[in-house]
Amino acid sequence: MTMNRRLFLGAAAAGAGALYAPAVIGQARARVVVVGGGPGGATAAKYIARDGAGAINVTLVDPAEKFVTCFHSNLYVGGYKKFEEITHSYEDLTKKYAVNHARKSAVSIDAEKKLVMLDDNGTLQYDRLVLSPGIDLKYDSVPGWGMEHEQTMPHAWKAGPQTQLLRARLDALKDGEMVVMIAPPNPYRCPPGPYERVSMMAHLLKSTGRGKCRIIVLDPKESFSKQGLFQEGWEKHYPGMVEWLGPKVHDGIKSVDPKTNTVVTGFETYKNVGLVNVIPAQMAGKIARDAKLTNQSGYCPIDPANMRSMVDANITVLGDASIAGDMPKSAFAANSQAKVAANAIRGELTQSRVFPAKYTNTCWSLIETDDAVKVGGAYEPKDGKIAAVETYISKTGETADLRKSTQAENMGWYSGIIADMFS
Amino acid sequence: MTTGRGLAVTTHLGKWRAILAAACLLAGGGAGAEQKKGDRELGEYLSSQCTTCHQLSGKASGGIPPIVGWPEDQFIAIIQSYKEGERDNETMRTISHRFTNEEIEALAAYFGAIPMLKAP
Repeated sequence: MTMNRRLFLGAAAAGAGALYAPAVIGQARARVVVVGGGPGGATAAKYIARDGAGAINVTLVDPAEKFVTCFHSNLYVGGYKKFEEITHSYEDLTKKYAVNHARKSAVSIDAEKKLVMLDDNGTLQYDRLVLSPGIDLKYDSVPGWGMEHEQTMPHAWKAGPQTQLLRARLDALKDGEMVVMIAPPNPYRCPPGPYERVSMMAHLLKSTGRGKCRIIVLDPKESFSKQGLFQEGWEKHYPGMVEWLGPKVHDGIKSVDPKTNTVVTGFETYKNVGLVNVIPAQMAGKIARDAKLTNQSGYCPIDPANMRSMVDANITVLGDASIAGDMPKSAFAANSQAKVAANAIRGELTQSRVFPAKYTNTCWSLIETDDAVKVGGAYEPKDGKIAAVETYISKTGETADLRKSTQAENMGWYSGIIADMFS
Repeated sequence: MTTGRGLAVTTHLGKWRAILAAACLLAGGGAGAEQKKGDRELGEYLSSQCTTCHQLSGKASGGIPPIVGWPEDQFIAIIQSYKEGERDNETMRTISHRFTNEEIEALAAYFGAIPMLKAP
């Protein structure tokens, strides 16, 4: 059934006194379906439901009972956080904000009929659809490696069992063994993430008497996020443990062999590697690709004013799956985009005030205990994309006190964004 | 780890109490000062840029202080001090640079109306 906008608005106005009694409004409530319960989707679901004050029926589609955050999963790998500390329930969203949590997988979209098809053959009708499916891995982007090898050569780029597997594999390493990380090409989720992970792996190994282990990073990129800061930190805290090789040095990642734990580059063959962490190339989640919301880049073009898909105005795309201009693919960015989008969607459905889009981002990275760095910025729509208005980055040679307070911010931010998403 | 974090919170809160007191002086007094009448609805929207870190519950965590329940004049004075570069946290500077005076007043009105978390 297609929602009649005028009918709905009339009903909402007539029932203004009963906005908190959804049953009274019944069929006339606008329906928003949110696919994906991460920083983009969970935030959007909460804000649309909360600010819609009963006028909008929000359904969050995500098969998981609890969400494991990719952000700070490196801190779990490094031994700074327990797995439970990066695992969060959707309970408050359903109890406090009356978000319906459909614990299903959304498999496809019928844009014409405004339907989301679920894996149990059920369907959900929407007036507005919010897609926040995150990334999918390109399993064919590293020769010799595929989905069937993610147990032997984990990626751990989607938080959950893979993260635990990576940690278990690190725990099993003997002093002197080698770790090889294959870093991803741009654009990918969490630009500083691979290098924070290297730091956390080095910290874990060094702090458990395995300082003779070496971590080789084979990077398809000539440079990477916060490079000077990370390299300064590796030299300072983990001398001799970390070796980063760009494409001019390694001359291409030719193949990996999961059976023999071998990695072949144009420059060298690494045999009997203790742990190979393959972080492959990435693209928008399948549901967005199948709905043809992506362009040749593999990600979804959006209207920078409100995160609406450039392909279908009834669909909003948030977070890693979107092409967000100068904003990185980060949890902070997805959360920020979700709030701009929630304001726009609520405005369309209930005629509430819509304010100009303003986006923010900060990414903290921990290098060693009490030594964190950050990069961030403020962003606004400009010339058809989300453009940086002002950016900043930590500097090399900062005082220990400043780095310590940056880490305190990092820990506080985590609690803050979790509260913003889930409670 | 827990002890370390606990210490950081205490130290940080101490610092923020001092900042609040200083801002109070800057603004020419606390309780008796005239309250600004910012646009709360605008403030609510803009607040979404703050709430990725600062908790609406008023809970402090790590290096992120609570920002709810402040007298509006004090809130405005602190944001202005970031905007003008008197305070040096780059995240706060970058965020405050983009706010107009009207927007800062709106934020002050919105956050000011949310009660502080009571001390346990």
